[in-house]
Amino acid sequence: MAGIQKMTTGLTGLAVARHPHQTLKVLYNRILGQLEKMPSDAAYRKHTSEIIKDRLQAVQTESNVAALEKRINCGQIEEVIKQAERELSLSRKMLEWKPWEPLVAEAPQNQWKWPIA
Amino acid sequence: MASRLSRFIRPIASTLNHKYGGASSRTLGCIQRFASFGVEGETPKKPTVASHNPLVRQRLRDFGAYIAECMPKYVQQVNVPYHDELEVCIHPDGIIPVLSFLKDHTNAQFLSLSDIAGVDKPMLENRFEIAYILLSLQFNSRIIVKTYTDELTPIDSACSVFQAANWYEREVWDMYGVFFANHPDLRRILTDYGFEGHPFRKDFPLSGYVEVRYDDEVKRVVVEPIELTQEFRKFEANTPWETFPQFRQIEGDVQKPMNPPEEKK
Repeated sequence: MAGIQKMTTGLTGLAVARHPHQTLKVLYNRILGQLEKMPSDAAYRKHTSEIIKDRLQAVQTESNVAALEKRINCGQIEEVIKQAERELSLSRKMLEWKPWEPLVAEAPQNQWKWPIA
Repeated sequence: MASRLSRFIRPIASTLNHKYGGASSRTLGCIQRFASFGVEGETPKKPTVASHNPLVRQRLRDFGAYIAECMPKYVQQVNVPYHDELEVCIHPDGIIPVLSFLKDHTNAQFLSLSDIAGVDKPMLENRFEIAYILLSLQFNSRIIVKTYTDELTPIDSACSVFQAANWYEREVWDMYGVFFANHPDLRRILTDYGFEGHPFRKDFPLSGYVEVRYDDEVKRVVVEPIELTQEFRKFEANTPWETFPQFRQIEGDVQKPMNPPEEKK
């Protein structure tokens, strides 16, 4: 990293990341590790690993932070790190909830009918 | 189907990048959002009537299908009703999983809980409907998550996912009497001290149960059972108008029909 690119993110409580590439690589690899534990036909696993692999690819190829932000196109790199942290905690919880299983119960008759009459 | 939300934005963003090369990422975000949500083609003839953008509608449908695909265990139905907003109807067990998914997933990022609303439909088996209205600042998008319960069944509190849920759930508890399990501080929030009943229930009388007045003899405000001095009147219960003329059945809105197509809001 050639020095700090920016002084501030301009967002309260969000400090400039010192080593965004390293942080993101660690986080993305952890997410992929969590996704591996899910059944291979789970839609959440498929879609999430697609996004994460896409971003990991971007992080590995693009060394300039500004260019990387532009390529990922989901806010500043610090926000992207936050998103990765949230995705990681979600993937851990998903393993408990197992949302890929079939529907727990159908809605009662007319529950979602509107207007009722 | 993956990353539909973002995939849609990207082509527009790349053309804009080209156009406004020097703009910072923040302003670019604003432009791209306006560009993606602006009404296309000719200007609407009636400025006071909301116009529909078929592009936005289609994108909402796609995103609804994406949620239903990712969470098949909990999502019962997904539809885009009359207005351009997405409704996800879920089983009450799935409140925390679905809300967490919408909050934490990279393609959703509904980080803000705008409101929790309650609806009372006394003729149904599960009379209370709870609607969580979420906002995604990243994608400038709103979503409504609906679930149901009855008077006795507690539903999971969303406080562990959204801090904002605390007071909203207290409000729903106060107005409808829906019990939220694992809520840190489930108390009355809007009604007066010592209030009994839940005033937004359809069977709560319009005049209430008690009346309050200042009593000169005991020198304080007293609460007494209500006394209405009114002669007997026979009220006509049925309205002469069609109640929801705007909301008729729209074809192709229900993506996971449980039974033959019904009328949708």
